[in-house]
Amino acid sequence: MAAELTLQDVSLQFGGIKVLQDVSFAVEPGQIFGLVGPNGAGKTSLFNCISGHYKPTAGTVRIDGTEVQGARPATLAKHGLARTFQHPALQLHETVLENVLLGAHTRLPGGALEWAVRLPRTWRAEKALRAEALELLERNDLGWAAHLPADELSHGLHKGVELCRALLMKPRLLLLDEPAAGLPHAEVETLIATVRRLRTDDDITVVIVEHHMGLIAALTDRVVVLDHGAKLMEGTAAEAQSDPRVIEAYIGKDAADDAA
Amino acid sequence: MARVMTAPASSPSSPSSSWRRRPWVRWATPLLIVAVLAVLPLVGTEFQNETLARIGVFAVAVLGLNVVMGYTGQVSLGQIFFLGFGAYVTAYGVSQDWNIVLVFVLACLLPAAAGLLVALAAARLGGLAIAMVTIALPIVGVPLAKRLNEYTGGSQGLSARFAESPEGSGLYDDQWTLYLVIAIGGVVFLLTHFLVRGKYGRAFAIVKGNENVAASMGISPYRYKVLAFTIASAIGGVSGFLYMLVIQYTSPETMSFGHSIELLAAMVIGGAASIVGSLLGGAFYVLVPQLTNQVDASLTALLQGAILLVVLFVLPGGLASLPRALTRGRRRLRAGRGPAAPPTTPSSTPGSGTAAEQPETERQGHA
Repeated sequence: MAAELTLQDVSLQFGGIKVLQDVSFAVEPGQIFGLVGPNGAGKTSLFNCISGHYKPTAGTVRIDGTEVQGARPATLAKHGLARTFQHPALQLHETVLENVLLGAHTRLPGGALEWAVRLPRTWRAEKALRAEALELLERNDLGWAAHLPADELSHGLHKGVELCRALLMKPRLLLLDEPAAGLPHAEVETLIATVRRLRTDDDITVVIVEHHMGLIAALTDRVVVLDHGAKLMEGTAAEAQSDPRVIEAYIGKDAADDAA
Repeated sequence: MARVMTAPASSPSSPSSSWRRRPWVRWATPLLIVAVLAVLPLVGTEFQNETLARIGVFAVAVLGLNVVMGYTGQVSLGQIFFLGFGAYVTAYGVSQDWNIVLVFVLACLLPAAAGLLVALAAARLGGLAIAMVTIALPIVGVPLAKRLNEYTGGSQGLSARFAESPEGSGLYDDQWTLYLVIAIGGVVFLLTHFLVRGKYGRAFAIVKGNENVAASMGISPYRYKVLAFTIASAIGGVSGFLYMLVIQYTSPETMSFGHSIELLAAMVIGGAASIVGSLLGGAFYVLVPQLTNQVDASLTALLQGAILLVVLFVLPGGLASLPRALTRGRRRLRAGRGPAAPPTTPSSTPGSGTAAEQPETERQGHA
């Protein structure tokens, strides 16, 4: 079941710096939702508030109606939240398959003692999830790389591996932090196809932070535009692209930066 | 499209891993190890057996340190404290004529409990702070052992003998002791070997690698640091039991800070995050002082330091990384000799459209 995400007046402050101010929006189950805005607008900070890496100074974050602000990331993961990072942090000396299997952590039964004595149910579960991870890699055109060390792959492929790792968690809410950053055009197309397939095949709610407007326009049902930590507008990607305030936030700021 | 991924699907990553995967090798290797370990105590001299038993003791101690530091990445400078604690529990239990199985369990559980308590507080602190807290353990442990006269025998220490070879077995005491060390140490090594694979191995590794990612995967870094520390303490306790079994004497000096640092050096030299490395570390801990003593007793510390530097300079990954370093070196040699280096990234496959635009020698990818 895809999850519902609701943010109400979320604010975040580091000392005297207001990073986020009263941000509210709602993501319906199964939606692909975009979070856009110029650099430093607070997109990733907002992401971190949802995923539990930051605790909002004020406001509420609800997943399926349950307040989760301030919950630890590890707890949220058990409630079906998965995320990727701007810089995919893989275990570079491990194989791709081992990296993906990390996503299965909460789905593997048994305590440390049971794994130490290699109880049959532990290795049976490991075997089953290993097969599932291989299939997941295969579906994302990465099957050939399963047994290679991660450091032999390119940055773009790392992002694919990281996505597989998040998907093996069987999340109901998936947060993608700049999935297209640093990808060549052809791979952005693959990424778009992959995320679309998520919605139809896996029944997941997806929230994407992204600069790549093409990707946002191609994928999202709705977007929220952030600027200086506050919500600038909410609507479809097309509406956002034609909104004068949004254009000013992007272009106006850039022009000002150029002049400086 | 750049995504023409018809790269060699079944290509092994290195030649050495292909023969290791053959079924008969996988069955024969453990059998061979067991056979060697079963015969070993019978063929050696008394001195050799004692040396091997001491290697076993410290290999277990290094293994514990490896769980918390090598695998989980938390610097612990207090491992020797848990060895000392286990040794004292054993000595006291034997002196009170408790059942030896009960003594063993206590020698394992009490250090584990102490480790758990310390870790609950220390794991809240990040990075070097945990190292600082663990320094305190041997520093507090030594005077504590001197003070608690009633239980520890003060500065005199305690001795205990509880491993005479059973009558009718036909074994000398040193052979019997070595068998016990191999059996107990072997079980600890096997359990740890299983533990650091699969679910817990991956969790420990990601806590070491990136705590934010760990948390996102549902792995609480705090809980797993505490777990690793507790396991390390329990294994330290077992090594203390074995220490009493072999050395038969413990004093406050057993858990001095210097020994803790030597254990750490042994772990790094053997190979961090490696089961075999723990064994090699134990061997280093015991053999190198013996060796340097024979060369020149007055130069022991100097020679040990020199050996440490040389090993780390040549093999930064420790002795356990030697086979991997050799494979890599051979591969590099082959790659340097001819253009027939095996392709490792898919874009070097013919048919990938971007390959032509890229310089030939650079490692290729899609970035």
